[in-house]
Amino acid sequence: MNNSVGSISDSRFRLFEGLLLFIGLVFSTLLSAQTEMSSEDANILRTKVKQQAETVSTITSDFTQYKHLDFLADDIESSGKLAFMEPDLVKWEYVEPFSYAILFKDQTLYINDAGNKSNLDVGGNKIFEQLNRLIASSIRGDMFDDDNFNIEYFKKDGADLVHFEPKDARFAEFIKAFELTFDASGQVTEVKMIEPSDDYTHIVFSNRKTNQRLSDADFAH
Amino acid sequence: MRILPISILLLLAFGCASYPEKEGFTPLDTTGTNLRNPYFSDASKDYVYEADIKAFDKSFSGIAIIKKLGDVHHRVVFTTKMGNTLFDFSFQGDALKVNRILKDLNRKILVNILHRDFKALITEHPPVTKTFLKANDTLWETRILSKKHYFYASKGQLRKIVRSKGGKEKVILTFSGIRDGKADEITIDHRSIPLNIRLSSL
Repeated sequence: MNNSVGSISDSRFRLFEGLLLFIGLVFSTLLSAQTEMSSEDANILRTKVKQQAETVSTITSDFTQYKHLDFLADDIESSGKLAFMEPDLVKWEYVEPFSYAILFKDQTLYINDAGNKSNLDVGGNKIFEQLNRLIASSIRGDMFDDDNFNIEYFKKDGADLVHFEPKDARFAEFIKAFELTFDASGQVTEVKMIEPSDDYTHIVFSNRKTNQRLSDADFAH
Repeated sequence: MRILPISILLLLAFGCASYPEKEGFTPLDTTGTNLRNPYFSDASKDYVYEADIKAFDKSFSGIAIIKKLGDVHHRVVFTTKMGNTLFDFSFQGDALKVNRILKDLNRKILVNILHRDFKALITEHPPVTKTFLKANDTLWETRILSKKHYFYASKGQLRKIVRSKGGKEKVILTFSGIRDGKADEITIDHRSIPLNIRLSSL
């Protein structure tokens, strides 16, 4: 008798346990699943991002950067701000925990390292041209360039995620792949640059403002 | 005529003087001496530094990351400030494993220099061959990657590591801003080539 009562409650318990497990699975799937987008959804996303990018002439944003190395206890965190003006003027400035700014302007890479200024003529350097174009277009999001990248589209945690793998071997030496995350309006909210070792740099944008009036002073070296 | 042999003798005497003798240290019995470099010895810590490198007429700044992974196992990674890895080394005993290095930096001479410099920096228990004393300062002679190194402590705190050859300083590593067993400022100065690395804790 005891045994049969025991087996009924046991089977109920197992059912309950199973149900919990199922709910947990569904919930965690909803929370973190990365599912591939249909080509229709991918087309909608491309169109939305392109349209959105076309309306953007300037962007300012804060950012937090997390450098992830597998063997470290914590990611290395830094933060700063960026300014963008079309077609390809970009100032990327770290404020914490160090002061360091890079500016792409007129085929030149200007570096301000805590007051030590230097510049590098990168005219004709294909890698730098590509890097500049990459940074400018990844900030805007409009970089669905099938000639230079293998592109895959995913849904993740309710957002759109696009995975890019560079086709150029020289470029792939620096970055194996990168991922852009878009919000519902088609704006980039996160960038993840994945290195050949699978370590990565994750950049999260915040306080983003578009089409504010920016002047040369915002892009001073 | 008599001056010449004397001066040759003097020159020989000073020219051949060991690094500790030149620095005015006197030898001490080394029995039971235990030397420990504490600055990269805590496996629970991520040691992250801003790195400024001046090499020949070029200067460069990035991030240096050092992590102890085992008794004689450290990982040393340099990245740009934007996070791209420049080189990633594993130090296991005397061996160096290059996990990754950018093609442009992958020169045997550079890898050897970095191997020696960082091996000296991270070795926790270098084998002591001699000990010397001067007032409050202690000097230990050790061998790292078969090169003579002197560890210099002042009031019990490791302040300097000198790699020497023929009594002359070749590379000098200094530690300052020391708190909680960690050095906030580290410099690596090469005397025979124009190479200088400065690490500041982040």
